[in-house]
Amino acid sequence: MTTPPWRAAGGTAVQRPGFHPVAVRKTLGKASTQASQPPTQAARRTQFPDALKAYVARTFEHCPSENKSEVEVALKKIITEAFENQTVWSIDWATHPLPTAARRASVDSSDMMDISSGDEASPISQQPSVNKLNKLGKAPNNTNNNVNNNKRKLGSRITSERNESDREVSRPDKRSKKLNTSDYSYEGPDAFKRLDRKYKRHQTTKNVFSQYHSMHSALDSPAFAPIVGRSTTLEKRYLRLTSAPDPATVRPQHVLEKTLELLKTKWKAENNYSYICDQFKSLRQDLTVQHLKNDFTVNVYEIHARIALEKGDLGEYNQCQSQLANLYSERIPGGHPHEFKAYRILYLLYTCNRSDMNDILASLTPAEKQDRAILHALAVRGAVASGNFHRFFRLYLDAPNMGGYLMDSFIDRQRLAALSAICKSYRPDVPFRHITEELGFENDAECEAFLVKHNAGQFIKTKQTTKGEGDEQQMVDKVTLETQKAMTTFEAAKAAAFKKVDIKGQI
Amino acid sequence: MESLIRAWRLAHVEENGKLLASTISLTNTDLEEFAYSTNSARVAEDIFRALEYENNSARPKITNKNGLEAWAEVYVAFWKVSQSLERYDEVEWGQVFTGMKDLTQAVIRGFQNSGWEVWALEVLYTACKYLRYVAIRADEAKRAEGEDAWKQLEEAARIINRAFNVCLNDRAELAQSRKWGTYYIINLLFKTYFKLNAITLSKNILKALVANTTEMPDLLSFRTSDIVTFKYYCGVIAFLDEDYFKAEEHLEMAYKLCHKDAQKNKELILTYLIPTKLLTRRQLPSATLLKPHPSLEALFLPLARCIKDGDLRGYDEYLAKGEDWFVKKRIFLTLERGRDITLRNLFRKVYLAAGESKTRIPVDHFRAAVSWKSGVDVETEEVECFLANMMYKGYIKGYISRERGMVVLSGTNAFPNPSNTS
Repeated sequence: MTTPPWRAAGGTAVQRPGFHPVAVRKTLGKASTQASQPPTQAARRTQFPDALKAYVARTFEHCPSENKSEVEVALKKIITEAFENQTVWSIDWATHPLPTAARRASVDSSDMMDISSGDEASPISQQPSVNKLNKLGKAPNNTNNNVNNNKRKLGSRITSERNESDREVSRPDKRSKKLNTSDYSYEGPDAFKRLDRKYKRHQTTKNVFSQYHSMHSALDSPAFAPIVGRSTTLEKRYLRLTSAPDPATVRPQHVLEKTLELLKTKWKAENNYSYICDQFKSLRQDLTVQHLKNDFTVNVYEIHARIALEKGDLGEYNQCQSQLANLYSERIPGGHPHEFKAYRILYLLYTCNRSDMNDILASLTPAEKQDRAILHALAVRGAVASGNFHRFFRLYLDAPNMGGYLMDSFIDRQRLAALSAICKSYRPDVPFRHITEELGFENDAECEAFLVKHNAGQFIKTKQTTKGEGDEQQMVDKVTLETQKAMTTFEAAKAAAFKKVDIKGQI
Repeated sequence: MESLIRAWRLAHVEENGKLLASTISLTNTDLEEFAYSTNSARVAEDIFRALEYENNSARPKITNKNGLEAWAEVYVAFWKVSQSLERYDEVEWGQVFTGMKDLTQAVIRGFQNSGWEVWALEVLYTACKYLRYVAIRADEAKRAEGEDAWKQLEEAARIINRAFNVCLNDRAELAQSRKWGTYYIINLLFKTYFKLNAITLSKNILKALVANTTEMPDLLSFRTSDIVTFKYYCGVIAFLDEDYFKAEEHLEMAYKLCHKDAQKNKELILTYLIPTKLLTRRQLPSATLLKPHPSLEALFLPLARCIKDGDLRGYDEYLAKGEDWFVKKRIFLTLERGRDITLRNLFRKVYLAAGESKTRIPVDHFRAAVSWKSGVDVETEEVECFLANMMYKGYIKGYISRERGMVVLSGTNAFPNPSNTS
């Protein structure tokens, strides 16, 4: 357990605090005066003069981290030589030149706005100047006595302050508030930064999909070790597993590939969603229990997600989506991550999930921001956020891939919101055509059906106006919506539509 | 080891919480000496002996045998921490974390079972504080190896949560109650939950606090640093909940109480207070307010100027410019609503340009203004959509006559003063 000389002075430390071990004593009596005297022969190999420790501290003090190893080597050499030449106690370390590598300037970069680390939120800084002084080892020769003297002085100060109470309920920590323990530990706002520097911190990148991972990792735990299936039947009904899977009923990948082809054909021919959904679920289950994560897995999930979208089954779609996000983030080749990221943005619009929306915005890479589907989804998001229904319905009619199906899930809600604004602002009425066009209806009949469905049918009125001039003047029927009267109806419908969305499997 | 245990005695004699806490601090200047002062075979015995020696070395005695055992547990755990930090070339943070957990749990037990007094709360603070730090380092190490979770930080959060309950549920008389430690621990929990992106858990803490509020000392009698941090987090939680009026209240208090030199904390508070005020009062930050904070100034000041001038293109540009940071701080989606205010200010300029008494203004004038200021040719329908939204939100009083292509504005106060509406 003998410490090598360079270790004792902080081989692992980036910077060395100006700390000096207090000599072993068994009484609280007078402090010994041995501090800077050469110790006995036995201790010579392992003990450093305080001045040398201060020298080491000074060396690491301003040492740029990239030079650290270089400095360590140089320092080790200097110290070992000093020990070997028996000059360690005679060199005047306070004026001894520092190793050259340590004298190069370092650039200190700190992230100003990092909310999540350190103690920055407590506004009282604890006398950094005192800390610094100690750290610099300005008083290398008398620290031994200093520690105890300081404490004693502080002790007497506390006794005199003990009866202080200036508020109704005096806070118990009040009495010690003037204390300064900087001679013993570096607390205060930058304590963590010191630790960061002392025990080098490596930067890691943050992955925004962590929630998917934690969900998924439950299945990856050793309790669910992968199995290899032996079943060769193509079709299988879905059953939720309640015990360990039986290899005899699980299909291996080459069988599953055939299953997928079969299901694709059947879906085209029969379009029977409940059958298809059930089959896909069992297919996914077989993939999971065998820990199959490859381009085939991605393909299966993507196809199921698209079918679910087409049928408006958002619960099932969302399960696929979250697995896909996980698979994409593991960089499994194949698949269409951009397409599905765009869907996710639209889906979050539907669920009004602002915090996840924020997360996904934060996760977008420059390449993703160039993708057509993602650009479309972002434009939709912007239009919804600003209430720009004109733009929104244009985007609805021009949705890439299957985005339109997803937008269907909240299109009615947006229509009601738009109608509320229209009814509030147009007087005395608004042409029926205008609504059909602005709210992305395919034709007047569809628009009328929508209004009737929301109990606003009675506000559609036919008005007679004159058209043309002179002899050609004729009476024309004009269909309008009575905005003022319809106002409350749409307000109520809108409020109901925006009530919290709750879907099973939602994350 | 001796100096450490001597400090333990001294701290008890003086009832000096800070000094006592420093004996289990990772920044303790004796950490390395302590790490090398014993070995794993002897540590329990050595520490108990040292404690016993100091306990009996003079009058008064600090504690009895059970009390010594409680402290011995703490220092044995601390020794494990110190040796995993100091005695290896490459620190294994998972191992440090295991030691730190033992340490924190021993401290919590000390308060719960061994009657440690309220002056020693600093020890609990220090243990929890470094537990969190070490957990983050341990998780970061795992993440560097490709694992993607904050398992150890989650574990730390559970332990700190226990510390919270130990403080909150102390029934001792107020002057001697651990309730005085509640807010410090809450703040630590908030910080942890935010890092874990588990903000709902913060709300559970607030609920537990409200349920106990009658027996709690008034918030203002706690340390100001605790109040500021607490109010800041309450404000951010309300902000993320889109409860902007509540957020404004909390954040304003935090800002007012914040130490005048704590620039960074002020910046953190302003980051949320500025967007909040934009929504609640449609108030823009002044140049003087932003002056001491160059990083905020660079982002918010041009944005505020564009909003004021109705400069849509400038607004979009500056919002896009700061987007990454805004999104990271979760204020983007709120700031985005400033576009409405920009539009409103632009429309008001159209109204003023038309002449004081004019209440009928062609939609086309508004269209021209929007096209000019956004640099994009917009359609009449889109401008009508903007106008409709303004009227719906009460930013403009009046109506659109589609037949005539006119906007008819209210004769009085067509653009109500922002701070009085909404």
